[in-house]
Amino acid sequence: MSLEEIIKDTKAYYCLGCGVCTSSCPVARVIPSFSPRLLVEKALFGFGDEIISDKDLWSCLICGRCASRCPSGVDYLNFVREMRMEALSKGKEGLLAHDGILNTIMELQSLNLKQDRNFWITDDLEVADAGEYFYFVGCLPYFDLVFGEGGLCDVGIRSIERARNTVRILNKIGIKPVVSNNERCCGHDLLWNGDLEGFKRLAELNLKTIKESGAKKVICVCPEGYVTLKRDYPRFLGEQDIEVIQLCQILADELREGKLKFLENASVDYKKVTFHDPCSLGRIAEIYEEPREIISSIPGIELVEMERNRVDAVCCGTSGWVNCSGCSKKIQTERLKEAEETGADALITACPKCEIHLNCAKYNADLKIRIKDITDLVAESLA
Amino acid sequence: MNKGFEPNIVGFACNWCSYAGADLAGTSRIKYPPNIKIIRVMCTGRVTPAFILKSFQNGADGVLVAGCHPGDCHYIAGNLKCEKIMDVVKRLVGILGIGKERLRLEWVSASEGGRFADVVTEFTEQVRELGPLSGKSQG
Amino acid sequence: MESEEIKIGVYVCHCGINIGSTVDVEQVRDSVSELPNVSISRDFKYMCSDPGQALIRKDIEERGLNRVVVAACSPRMHEPTFRKTIQQAGLNPYCVEIANIREQCSWVHEDKADATDKAVKLVCSAVAKASLLEPLEEKEVEIAPRALVIGAGIAGIQASLDIADAGFQVYLVEREPSIGGHMAQLDKTFPTLDCSACIMTPKMVEVERHPNIELLTYSKVIEVGGYIGNFNVKVKKKPRYINMDRCTGCGLCAEACRLKGRITSEFDVGMGKRSASYIPFPYAVPSKYTIDAEHCLFLTKGKCGKSPACKDACTADAVEFEQKEEIVELDIGTIVVATGFDLFDATEKPEYGYGLYDNVLSGLEFERLVSSSGPTQGKIAIGGKDPKDVVFVQCVGSRDKSVGNEYCSRVCCMYTAKQAYLIHEKLPDARLTIFYIDIRAFGKGFEEFYDRVREEGVRYIRGNVSEIIKKGDRLLVMAEDTLLGEPIDVEADLVVLATGIVPRADVRELMNLLKISQSPDGFLLEAHPKLRPVDTASDGIYIAGCCQGPKDIPDTVAQAKGAASSAMTKMSQGKVKVEAIIASVDPFICRGCGRCVEACEYGAPELQEAEPGILVSEVNDSLCKGCGACAVACPCRAISMKHFKNEQIFSQIEAVI
Repeated sequence: MSLEEIIKDTKAYYCLGCGVCTSSCPVARVIPSFSPRLLVEKALFGFGDEIISDKDLWSCLICGRCASRCPSGVDYLNFVREMRMEALSKGKEGLLAHDGILNTIMELQSLNLKQDRNFWITDDLEVADAGEYFYFVGCLPYFDLVFGEGGLCDVGIRSIERARNTVRILNKIGIKPVVSNNERCCGHDLLWNGDLEGFKRLAELNLKTIKESGAKKVICVCPEGYVTLKRDYPRFLGEQDIEVIQLCQILADELREGKLKFLENASVDYKKVTFHDPCSLGRIAEIYEEPREIISSIPGIELVEMERNRVDAVCCGTSGWVNCSGCSKKIQTERLKEAEETGADALITACPKCEIHLNCAKYNADLKIRIKDITDLVAESLA
Repeated sequence: MNKGFEPNIVGFACNWCSYAGADLAGTSRIKYPPNIKIIRVMCTGRVTPAFILKSFQNGADGVLVAGCHPGDCHYIAGNLKCEKIMDVVKRLVGILGIGKERLRLEWVSASEGGRFADVVTEFTEQVRELGPLSGKSQG
Repeated sequence: MESEEIKIGVYVCHCGINIGSTVDVEQVRDSVSELPNVSISRDFKYMCSDPGQALIRKDIEERGLNRVVVAACSPRMHEPTFRKTIQQAGLNPYCVEIANIREQCSWVHEDKADATDKAVKLVCSAVAKASLLEPLEEKEVEIAPRALVIGAGIAGIQASLDIADAGFQVYLVEREPSIGGHMAQLDKTFPTLDCSACIMTPKMVEVERHPNIELLTYSKVIEVGGYIGNFNVKVKKKPRYINMDRCTGCGLCAEACRLKGRITSEFDVGMGKRSASYIPFPYAVPSKYTIDAEHCLFLTKGKCGKSPACKDACTADAVEFEQKEEIVELDIGTIVVATGFDLFDATEKPEYGYGLYDNVLSGLEFERLVSSSGPTQGKIAIGGKDPKDVVFVQCVGSRDKSVGNEYCSRVCCMYTAKQAYLIHEKLPDARLTIFYIDIRAFGKGFEEFYDRVREEGVRYIRGNVSEIIKKGDRLLVMAEDTLLGEPIDVEADLVVLATGIVPRADVRELMNLLKISQSPDGFLLEAHPKLRPVDTASDGIYIAGCCQGPKDIPDTVAQAKGAASSAMTKMSQGKVKVEAIIASVDPFICRGCGRCVEACEYGAPELQEAEPGILVSEVNDSLCKGCGACAVACPCRAISMKHFKNEQIFSQIEAVI
């Protein structure tokens, strides 16, 4: 895309130069030289080459805080995405954390390889090869090897338990989901790191797999997977005849209908918790209340709010496995301290990446607050 | 089955033991198949999982990592760190569908020129049997 | 740096026909000439020769090359050569990359097309890396002008004297109570028949008197940290229970000892006895007694008569049972390892009856027997009688795969000839027979000596002994005379086995301590078998004598002088360049998680508080060895391993496939 096309596509020309974006940006609060406003203004003045050579282009977290507040409706997220596409085409990329293995793992999934990603399915779990519901597991099997116990970058989590718990919950409410060994990474990170072609390859393979299973409804737990399948697949590959649902939506519905029951005094471990809105679930998908309803209805748990919540919530500090740095850690540490200040025993999140990043910030650091995923919490509390 | 298929094998060898072992195979004129191309690192402890995954992504059919025998590491325990990492990477390439058999970690000392040649010959045959990895990324 | 245009010169070596006969060098040269950043590619008969190197320098000067790729032999061979070459032409020495197309290509492949194809890929890989090579800075650290010499046999003694004479402080560590090693146990030495003690004693005394040598006997090196120039060494001094200053070496304690004559003498390899308070041999250095804690009644049982006899006997009040083990810490610049050998244990060849029959002796036992300072004052008597027939068996534990020793021990042929000669001198009527496979008389004066021994009537029979059995009071030695092609049995009153040289039993402990390796034969590994025979893979650590492999006294002394000279060269430079290939941290990316600190064996990265509450890792350049483990452990890629950076290796991966 040319610079003009990017400006037109993202309505960057509406920019008033007001600075609300930069002032809202968590990165700019740590690295003063980083400015979403300046990036847009550079584009408007025709300095496209400067933007794509600037490593700051990769510092953006795609968290959407700026865009949600922009008075002119500049689509800043896609502005960054399209600029990154240009940068990538010139051979420039961001500094990939973990030596880039997570990105390579995604790219490798577009090859015609027979994965063995369903190793986690135990006998007590009821899954199907075909059916109405497709459970989109996402990256959990890979995360488990990288970030799980004894993994390459052990942050003390068990991502794969999330997948098991999801199936347990679905089974409980009468759903026997399709889980496919042919599922691929959703492509979210490739897309937002500027690799549109790589994203499309993965998306096509996923759509083929979902359709072959006969499923009409896809259940996502990972918020990034959810927005990618719901919003970006239709955007880049055309309208699809599938409904994409986030697990919290199903659970909230079931709760309202009184079909989901929790144990009396279910939560022994956690008395008081706070909820961290993942960027994709909150600002992007605007699912704010469902998780709160679910948490609040678990007997014995009190939900308290952090200072910055819902649309104002702050990102977990890294995105797309790019530029994980001291800056990220500051954002993460600050967020965890904010959670500790509420007096909560645990921070509840709903995104596997938030869980990884926030746990990583606790590594060798003096932060006491526990981090718990909402799916695990629900599964452990079910009657 | 795969007559005529010549596998591409990338080798990572530590400077002090296995690279020297490979040199000794040369000095001793011990023959082995030419499929392997060695990239020298100072220690197998330097072999980050990304080197392995990138090799497969770029079209390698097999990857051999060769380091000092336990206890012989020039850097005390880089080889053991590598072993721990390779155990995970093997599981990773297993679930990715690349196959654990295409990744091999071996200990070859500076004096084991013959063993280096044997390991390479045997691994080359094994990868030849496995056939080509489904090919390069189309991108 | 970013804007500098990369200009690479590629030089493909024929290495005479070593590369050229298997790899189509011209084709390699042409295939890489169009690669990105390559401005010239050439081939040459011998790149490492003066004209070869001049060619590179000329191109750098005339064509403005800033990176160089040499496709030749292993970088372990000539990387230093070419680093110097380009440095002479004004480039940073780290701007050269070697493609190993000899050891790892032309010498191991036969098909010319395959080998050429592989060579092209290896050169492509080197070009890819060269494009991303960055100049590195070589920092210097001071070298402490102090050497540690481990082992005080003839090798350690010679090395210590040379280093000390050059004006450097030497700490000579010996595990036994006296210096001298195996050479002190020998009677006469081949081929000149000098008395070993006569040529050894002056050197031993010189060591003791030398103002620059501090002798640490009855001591062991237990810890070695740091790096060349700055080794931190810990030495454990075992208690001697004798005050070294007060002891006059009079021997009254040994005379008085209640265990006198009841403890096997190590020095006499079981041929003689000693007391618990002892001096290993009469001309020991230091000439001070030691109380053997393993046997001494007072030390083992807490009681020795009414009071310890030695303490009562000592007129100098030197016995101190309250002595404790002591740890000495040393800051050392260079280390010479001269730990010697063990004698092959002939019980591993049960067919020879060693250990079963008293009149089957090892080579070293015979040395003590024939020595005038030995248990019999040099009288060779078997069962009180002069032996009439003596048989020598060569290659016991050498050149014998059945006991795991493939190598030749290099000294046995000649020491056997010498021992036969010594018997002939003392017992001219004795019939002497030597069974051998090959006689290896390769040294100066060796063949002449061998001839002289044969002239004296010693019978050499070609054939190795299969077994030795008892026949009445005598022994029956059975073999085949391979030159006649018939079995031969020889009766003997005494059989001397030419026991070989084996690595010390605790060689692995030493290797772990010093981070050095061993060769397949089990001896310590030199950095290069021909060109760096006294160096090890660890900078600042040198090896001398039989710890590196079997050798005779002149070779040992020569090697000791070589090792001393290498150590002195480093110390006289006063400074050493520290590894330039090290890790570095980008403080803006670092999350201060500390995973690098956990991964490093050397304590090189440390977390520092960059601003309140913000930790950042910092690498200590002189502690970093450049292994790269921290870079692998770093989750956010804040650490890059210089010269082996991710991008550099990724580019090699792409090029090689």
